[in-house]
Amino acid sequence: YLSLPLRGVRVTPANIFCADQYLKVSIPPFLFEAILYAPIDDTNSTAKIGNGIIFFTLYKKEVAMWDSLTLATANKEKLQYLRENAVLKAHEKAKEETKAKKVTKQEHKKYALEATMKLEEAERKRIEDLKEKERQKVTKELALWKKQQKDAEKQKRVQKEGELHQEVEQLKEEKKEKMNKTRIPNEGTSKTRLKPTKGHGSYSMFSENLKEEQLPAPRSAATIKINFTSRVFPTALRESRIAEEEEWLRKQAEARRTVSADLSEVEDLKEEEKNPDWLKDKGNKMFATGNYLAAVNAYNLAVRLNNKLPLLYLNRAACHLKLRNLHKAIEDSSKALELLTPPVPHNEHARVKAYVRRGTAFCQLELYTEGLQDYEAALKIDPKNKTIENDAEKIRHLIQGTMQDS
Amino acid sequence: KIEKAKPIKCGTFGATSLQQRYLATGDFGGNLNIWNLEAPEIPVYSVKGHKEIINSIDGVGGLGIGEGAPEIVTGSRDGTVKVWDPRQKDTPVANMEPVQGESKRDCWTVAFGNAYNQEERVVCAGYDNGDIKLFDLKTMSLRWETNIKNGVCSVEFDRKDINMNKLVATSLEGKFHVFDMRTQHPTKGFASVSEKAQKSTIWQVRHLPQNRDIFMTSGGAGSLHLWKYEYPAQRSKKDSEGAEMGVAGSVSLLQNVTLSTQPISSLDWSPDKKGLCVCGAFDQTVRVLIVTKLNKV
Repeated sequence: YLSLPLRGVRVTPANIFCADQYLKVSIPPFLFEAILYAPIDDTNSTAKIGNGIIFFTLYKKEVAMWDSLTLATANKEKLQYLRENAVLKAHEKAKEETKAKKVTKQEHKKYALEATMKLEEAERKRIEDLKEKERQKVTKELALWKKQQKDAEKQKRVQKEGELHQEVEQLKEEKKEKMNKTRIPNEGTSKTRLKPTKGHGSYSMFSENLKEEQLPAPRSAATIKINFTSRVFPTALRESRIAEEEEWLRKQAEARRTVSADLSEVEDLKEEEKNPDWLKDKGNKMFATGNYLAAVNAYNLAVRLNNKLPLLYLNRAACHLKLRNLHKAIEDSSKALELLTPPVPHNEHARVKAYVRRGTAFCQLELYTEGLQDYEAALKIDPKNKTIENDAEKIRHLIQGTMQDS
Repeated sequence: KIEKAKPIKCGTFGATSLQQRYLATGDFGGNLNIWNLEAPEIPVYSVKGHKEIINSIDGVGGLGIGEGAPEIVTGSRDGTVKVWDPRQKDTPVANMEPVQGESKRDCWTVAFGNAYNQEERVVCAGYDNGDIKLFDLKTMSLRWETNIKNGVCSVEFDRKDINMNKLVATSLEGKFHVFDMRTQHPTKGFASVSEKAQKSTIWQVRHLPQNRDIFMTSGGAGSLHLWKYEYPAQRSKKDSEGAEMGVAGSVSLLQNVTLSTQPISSLDWSPDKKGLCVCGAFDQTVRVLIVTKLNKV
């Protein structure tokens, strides 16, 4: 134990320096140094500061009585050496202490991390458990439902068997209720079924579908004919394209109109009458009403305006046929066929008509072979047309007839 | 994984019972096949129903929904709509075809509706020229037709198994129309409200099985829009001659999301879990989505 009186100065722990064998208190301008007799355990030693004194409690490393507090033999070099040593030792200690602190800090951190991980794991597990429970519940329900279905089926089968049995008995015995009561296991339900079946008569149960629910029979087949809103283009209808499409159609119509429009009579005609399509329609109407001459006129005018429309010639040929201007009919059908030269499926229909009309004209002129040729051409395009076939047959017979005669 | 000779365009489970679970498919060759997925080598039912690709298929009478015979309807590029009964081989139960000589239009979509008892059925078909036609199978006649000025990509009734209530038809150019099907006026037909959702085609519409006023549309720009229909104060009123005329309500957008750059060509809701839906897109992905807060709508 060592007590050091202070005189009016403050001491802070920084000013006290203690090493193995060296003790120093330096408070400028005062300095107290003591080189101790024997080493002490400086980590355990304490210094209490208070009331004008510092009270050192130093623990000796070796328990023994010291002769004196400080070493007597104090030559300067030794002192110096001791001092430096002490300082070094103190440094090292400080280093070690910081290292130790670091290590403990890291360990603390690790521990904290592990703790949070554990918490998260626990959370995850909880959610997993919930999911599992749900899953199990659903599978149980599914299994139960399946079982129920099976049971229901079994029951119904048993019932049905019971009923069939019942029916057989009824037939045999002439409807004695007592019989049924003794035979069938599930009495309650079968009783209620009994009443309606009695009313039905015998074989209804047998012929009924054995399906669970009573589905109605498939419908009797029927066809509904429909019309579509007309559309020239094969593509789908889009509102944004409507304007473009109208433009295109209009231009097409224009082109067809003005092929040969430099006739002197053109000015006399009204606006409508200059349009070959309109004239064609007019012609068609008149043909339909039977006014063939007027139809021919309309078609003539149309042709003068635009001589590239095969339909005009085609229709005019039909008129001529009706008027029995057979040569003209042949001419017009031929012209129509010429104009329909690229033989595409598009003008199939028109070509068939042209051939048929020309063929008819030939036959009426009694040029049967040419007629037959045309009919056969028509058949080639449209092999499914029965009327053409029949007419061709007739012509063949006629030819054979005339050949036999002559 | 099962592969067949011809590519398959469309399929439905609509006409099978819950036990059997047969898948009915229409393929690019015009064949209608019904497959038992446990034994997929040979179809349970097969017919070459159409001359061209079957664009759309729908089934009714199965899955515990609705009553009456199970039937499948197919719509094809050859312009015909045919109704098949899996119990009747080779010939359709009903055939809606163009008149002789009429040029045919692609039928792009078909849907069943009005199947509230064993006899009543109605088939709605949409075509590429904007026509929508409603066929009544009980009377075997055309009940109504209209044209919505754009090719019709998808039609659906809000429920197949009730007295027909609403019909949504979606089309090219981002438009869709909601028709109120409860009141049919002799000349004007059904009342409708239309909405333009986006610039691109609306490929599909599907109603939420748990709430028939909510439906989702899928678009050509890879987006999904969720809509709610609100009924008007009075669903029908009398017009000048005293005939009943329907009044259309209004549609409001609840939510939309863009999932992909490619069109989302098909989508469907789960009948068991509200808000669970799946969609397939041209970018070769199938996406499963969950839509939340549908209870609060």
